[in-house]
Amino acid sequence: MKQLITLKVNSEEHEVAVSPDATLLQVLRNELGLLGTKRGCDTSACGCCTVHMDGKAVYSCVTYAMSVQGSEVTTIEGLGSNGKLDPLQDAFIEAGAVQCGFCTCGMIMSAKQLLGDVKNPDEEQIRHAIAGNLCRCTGYTKIVDAIKIAADS
Amino acid sequence: MVLPELKEFCLPETGSEVISTLDKYGDGSLLVAGGTFIHGLEARGFLSGVEALIDLNQLGLDTIEAVKHGVRVGATTKFAALEQIPGFDTPAFGALRDALSYPPVQIRNQASVGGSIAASCPFFDVPAAFQVLDGSVTVEGGVGSRDLPLEAVYSGLFENSLAADEYIASLLIPEQHARSASAYLKLETNANDLALVGVAVRITVGSALGRKDKIRDARVVLGGGLNQTFVRSPAAESVLDGEVVSDELFEKAAAAIAADIDPISDQRCSAEYRAAIGKVYVRRALQQATQRLK
Amino acid sequence: MKQRRQVIASANLIGQSVIRPDAYDKVTGGRGYPVNVSMPGMLHAKLLRSPYAHAQVLSVDTSEAEKLPGVKAVLTAADVPQIPFSPVYFCPTEAKNLVRDMLIFSDTVRYAGQPVAAVAATSEAIAEWALELIDVDYEELPVVFDPEEAMQEGAVQLHDSAPGNIAKNPSFEFGDVEAGFAEADHIFEGVYQTQRVHTCYMEPRVCVVDCDKTGHFTVNSSMQHIYGLREKLAFALGIPVSRVTVIKPPYIGGGFGGKLDLGYIEPVAALFSERTGRPVRIEQTRYEDFITTARHAIKVYLKTGVKNDGTITAREAKSILDTGAHATHGAEVIMVHGLFGVLFPYRCANKKWEGFTVYTNNMIGGGYRGYGCPQGCFAIESQIDEICEELSLDPIEFRLKNALQKGDPHPFNPMWNLNSYGYEEALTQGAERIGWDQRKPAGSSPGVKKRGIGVGTQGIWVSGCMGFPDIYEHTGAIIKLNVDGTADLTSASVDIGSGQITALCQIAAAELGLDAEKVRMVYADTDTAPFDAPTHASRVTYSSGLAVQAAAAEVKKRVLEIASVLMQTGPDELEVSNGLVHVKDSPDNCMPITEVIKIAESPFILDTEQGPGPSSPPDLKGTIIGTSSLAPPENPSPATALFVKVEVDTETGQVDVLRCVFAHDLGKLINPNAAEGQVEGGMQQGIGYALMENMAFDEETGACLTSDFLDYKMPTAVEMPRSIESIFIETNEPSGPFGAKSMSEQCVTVPAAAIGAAVYNAIGVRIKDLPITPEKILRALGKLD
Repeated sequence: MKQLITLKVNSEEHEVAVSPDATLLQVLRNELGLLGTKRGCDTSACGCCTVHMDGKAVYSCVTYAMSVQGSEVTTIEGLGSNGKLDPLQDAFIEAGAVQCGFCTCGMIMSAKQLLGDVKNPDEEQIRHAIAGNLCRCTGYTKIVDAIKIAADS
Repeated sequence: MVLPELKEFCLPETGSEVISTLDKYGDGSLLVAGGTFIHGLEARGFLSGVEALIDLNQLGLDTIEAVKHGVRVGATTKFAALEQIPGFDTPAFGALRDALSYPPVQIRNQASVGGSIAASCPFFDVPAAFQVLDGSVTVEGGVGSRDLPLEAVYSGLFENSLAADEYIASLLIPEQHARSASAYLKLETNANDLALVGVAVRITVGSALGRKDKIRDARVVLGGGLNQTFVRSPAAESVLDGEVVSDELFEKAAAAIAADIDPISDQRCSAEYRAAIGKVYVRRALQQATQRLK
Repeated sequence: MKQRRQVIASANLIGQSVIRPDAYDKVTGGRGYPVNVSMPGMLHAKLLRSPYAHAQVLSVDTSEAEKLPGVKAVLTAADVPQIPFSPVYFCPTEAKNLVRDMLIFSDTVRYAGQPVAAVAATSEAIAEWALELIDVDYEELPVVFDPEEAMQEGAVQLHDSAPGNIAKNPSFEFGDVEAGFAEADHIFEGVYQTQRVHTCYMEPRVCVVDCDKTGHFTVNSSMQHIYGLREKLAFALGIPVSRVTVIKPPYIGGGFGGKLDLGYIEPVAALFSERTGRPVRIEQTRYEDFITTARHAIKVYLKTGVKNDGTITAREAKSILDTGAHATHGAEVIMVHGLFGVLFPYRCANKKWEGFTVYTNNMIGGGYRGYGCPQGCFAIESQIDEICEELSLDPIEFRLKNALQKGDPHPFNPMWNLNSYGYEEALTQGAERIGWDQRKPAGSSPGVKKRGIGVGTQGIWVSGCMGFPDIYEHTGAIIKLNVDGTADLTSASVDIGSGQITALCQIAAAELGLDAEKVRMVYADTDTAPFDAPTHASRVTYSSGLAVQAAAAEVKKRVLEIASVLMQTGPDELEVSNGLVHVKDSPDNCMPITEVIKIAESPFILDTEQGPGPSSPPDLKGTIIGTSSLAPPENPSPATALFVKVEVDTETGQVDVLRCVFAHDLGKLINPNAAEGQVEGGMQQGIGYALMENMAFDEETGACLTSDFLDYKMPTAVEMPRSIESIFIETNEPSGPFGAKSMSEQCVTVPAAAIGAAVYNAIGVRIKDLPITPEKILRALGKLD
């Protein structure tokens, strides 16, 4: 019942055998070994699974792998280049926005779209941009700080 | 989430392929455009016996085009694309702008127009806005095309009136009047929530407020847990039609929704609370819409 | 790997916002989470959970499930050891305080969701399908969900060992309560109810257990205590602890006390691995996590007698804790709640409290930051607010009048004193910062949206578990130096997100005179690291910090010993800082620590240009290593005062928390950025607790209605106050590492009380049961029919 499909993830093409209801999250973690995208819930509400599809933030836990053929998927592993971190990643480290870190990658992916859409987001825009990402450790304060730092850099 | 009876994931490229697949699997088929609510449905026990997943994104139903007297939005258009609707920034489309401001970015990027309607879920936001703007859908199926107003799609909580071999192909939003303004308000506990109460309103007021022109074509759409489906409130609408804008009028219209609601009680809040907020929100939404005309 | 260089001189490390060593890993994906652990040949298992809240399992037919291709083994009650255990990690298995009333699988189901069988298969999907093929014959039994009902005569009995469904019934009395009430000018009585909430750690509970051919189990698990897991797992399986190795994960994705007990997944995975000879993985779904652990709901009946001037003359209370199907942490939470949450705050000679840990057919509870104290704080502080309102007393003055004082004997152990105690400073500084003197009378602001200011405090808490009967509180560390001038720190302390790695490395570096990034927290497991009590009770900075400091001190002593020979001076004349050993007050007379280590680790005879010769006396040779294992000397108390400003929409009942000022005596601020993070995160949990979080269950079946984030609401970034200010007060605790004591639990303990008081100040109505929902507010305002 598995089908061979080709997925483009972080600018690399991968051929994987997937069952019809395999989600992008499952394929990323179990087939492609990309562990930065995480499962924190079962109902597309926590945001730990956030990746980009054609540059737009989506919940990979409700995205079927079969639907993703032909799209460009970007995960946290696809950020930064040549050994340098993405400004958001640097900012999260500097600002102390990482505690347990389980929500961190999803937060960064949501924030990344915001910074692509809005040059100088204000605090309300930042908070709304991460409304689909839950965090239990940080209270969001330093995450908001980090996004502001990245926007300014 | 596991679908043990699942046999195939279909990526049809034409409408007739969709219909023949729907025919083949009947009730065992599940149409997917964005797919954002599937896990929510599954968690609530509404999914079983799914044999085929049918992804509609290859049909080219993701366009927005101006047509005679309105805008036609393809069913697989994602929420985020709706800002391209001609007139999106006008007061008339205020409810749609409001509704789009609630879901988080991941939902806006992924949820589809057709999916959000077909789910028949009164706890969503964007369909309320479509309805308050007199939206209607074109449905394709074995018997051909047919058009339905949105209220005719909703037959019950999470139940739509489509036949087993039918799917929503597009939404038509008719041309809005230059003197229309709409608004949508949602009661939610946090910023990533279904609507406990959702209210969309639209008023059309003459040519200039200052001349005490009367409201016409009022629309009040009630969602969230105010009923099992999105419903209009004829009682509130008839209070508004033909009257001059005022806070007292809005209070009266708000009180009138009592005739048109049968709110649910659940672990989130009681029917009485929903009813109370429904009234407050109808009043506030009317005030918000009015502000847009100034 | 690129990492930002620390340029902070080691001498000034304490008080610096040293960057977390694990941050780089986490922002690039995070390899260390237990959820990532995978082993070749690994099987996946799933638990079958009862839909009934109370039932007898008459039979379990797994034959169809076993036939499904890919299924490798099934387990039912008949296949597992039937050794009753208490899952609580931080007490010995035979502790008198614990109640051993759980089994891996039992024939009696006592809560909806209790596992009754399990399947191991080659994939998660197959295991899940197989569950549907298991046929369980249940005989439904009558249910009881309300703890006070469960205590009544004639209620359904849930455990043979607990008549009246009472698992624990502690009580304490001091002084003469009757005389105290007689002395009072006013007596206040109230009932305060708190709700069940979930910890909502973002990484699910997960484990991989591998049993080798010798019957030795190696466990990877998302847990807050590796030694506790080892001990409880071995006990439940009926094997000696030496047959279990628990690996310490590099870090876990949150715990908050919700991962402090043996779940079903570790014993089940272990038994499957033993059976199949393959590693077995179990990851819980979010639905399962929701019904695995929760903060206990406690109902507090509180009576306080006061004089006209606000002096408390007597206090009496009764607490009913709903522990659900098994006692688990409820056996301990009731004690901590009664003592620290109800009896100890404030001076009063005449006090009496009785607590009941009651069985019901509700879900089991667990630990959660604050551990019974938030429930008590809400009651105590709310009633004080009522008293002050009624008697027109200032809430700050009232508290100061009755507060414990610096130097007072510690209420828990009179052998200790409150040597460092900043309650008064916290209260007064916080009051000034929020603008307490501008606070208006309750309900007096005009308009639909009304604002108010409130305060909540906690004047007595713990830095660990020293002095608690039956609770482990000792800890150890091993530090060794490498020739490149770095130090490896072996510690069993689990980093649950709050920065244990950072704090311990920072303390070690400060003691060793090294830059912060020179100390690395390395691999540890129960075979190689000394015992550490769990990451709980806000103990790691204070308690594990002391052990790390002691191990580092031993290393430093050896370094100075060697250096003193090389520099030809006495070791007492030397000091370390910035990677150098130098003569005190003469920093230019120095040598790099790397040189010292090189000498120590080099061959005794070195071949040189001048021919072979000794590199140093033989007694300077050997790896420089320090070890410690100790119990902390005391249990010093932090102190907190939280001031909040809220706005209430009186048409909808919605509450917005606008601003918080959190004043906190924490002894010594080790890492300001990390401490702020604890306050801010605590506010998220505290606001959720106060205003929106609630585990809800079907009144008839006991099924959980809030087992996903669509229905269980906790604050997102949008609901958080836009202003959270921290005031850190350093009272320099003499017994703590560099003067530190604890801080983090208090951040969650006080918000509900402060918010409740602020809501009262805004609208003049007081809600005494949590959460304070908009509906409750509208109802209290009389706006609902």
